[in-house]
Amino acid sequence: MAGASMKDIKLRIRSVESTMQITKAMQLVASSKLRGARARMEASKPYMKVARTALWDIALHNTGAQSHYVIPREIRQRCYIVIAGDRGLAGSYNANMFKRIEWDSRDAACCVIPIGRKAIEYYSHSPMPIITSVERVEGLSFEACGEIAGRILESYDNGEYDEIVLAYTSFVSVLLQKTKLKPLLPLDTRQAPERTNRQMLCEPDADALLKLFLPQYLAGLIYSAACNSFASEQAARRVAMDSATKNAGDMIEDLSLRYNRARQSSITQELTEIVAGAEH
Amino acid sequence: MALIHLTIVTPEGMYFDAEAQRVIVRTTGGDVAILPHHIAYSAALAEKGEARLVEADGRVRRAEVEGGLLHVSNDDVQVITNRFHWKDA
Repeated sequence: MAGASMKDIKLRIRSVESTMQITKAMQLVASSKLRGARARMEASKPYMKVARTALWDIALHNTGAQSHYVIPREIRQRCYIVIAGDRGLAGSYNANMFKRIEWDSRDAACCVIPIGRKAIEYYSHSPMPIITSVERVEGLSFEACGEIAGRILESYDNGEYDEIVLAYTSFVSVLLQKTKLKPLLPLDTRQAPERTNRQMLCEPDADALLKLFLPQYLAGLIYSAACNSFASEQAARRVAMDSATKNAGDMIEDLSLRYNRARQSSITQELTEIVAGAEH
Repeated sequence: MALIHLTIVTPEGMYFDAEAQRVIVRTTGGDVAILPHHIAYSAALAEKGEARLVEADGRVRRAEVEGGLLHVSNDDVQVITNRFHWKDA
């Protein structure tokens, strides 16, 4: 492996170095985006907490006649809203999500609403039909979430789907993100807070209020899930790129060692040849 | 003096979370003022309307509110809205 490959080793070192520059840059971009994404995620938390209590107060208001949003149906057609990444190179972030859904979707006919470019790419090659899609997770607005929420509610009302599930990645910490499947509709009464306010005055009336507020609540859920997923994506990318940069560093070190060894042995060989020539 | 605890939230963040004397918002049925000791109450907010609130120290503030829900229980008043911005300052 010595002498002849000196030039090859030099070339390899150079190529690994340029790869390392890219991974390093991606890591820095991901870290800075992660900061913004986390702030947005934190800002959406109080809304979700307050809106959830309010929604359950309204949904369980009429104990006798419960809304059809609360009563589960037999599941024949399920719709997933899948929030994945806009880009690759984020470790197993995207793959984990798709695998989880593949596993979960075996028991019923399913269709998807992919959010994020990677999700659209993946599902355009899968047998699950795409209802509608959103190109970018980054900077997904509350209004855009409202459109999706309106659309799924309409289809749910028509009986097109019996269950709507939101699939996203929950951000726990920079090192830990979890894929989550959250049923949106029907509203899962087991998730209701223990103490709801059933005696209250509703204006115009509980049903109308639920019709009005449910789309906003669902939009809020999708929005906060998107914020979580985007933060998770950035965190996953940061970690993946960090280890890629480290690996590249190790490789360069190893290659430099081999390069020096090759150089040394070529010098030794030259010296031996000169000495051998002089002895003649 | 009795006070209400007022929380104003949008998906983008929390705008107010403190004691207040009273809050007036536009619901789909017209303007409603919430004072301390109000009964449990829920109402849809108008697509676009002005909110006025009287802070604990008596200062009056105005804001623009777009849609959402007003939710009152046990002197906890929550304005859950899509968009909110202060008209003063």
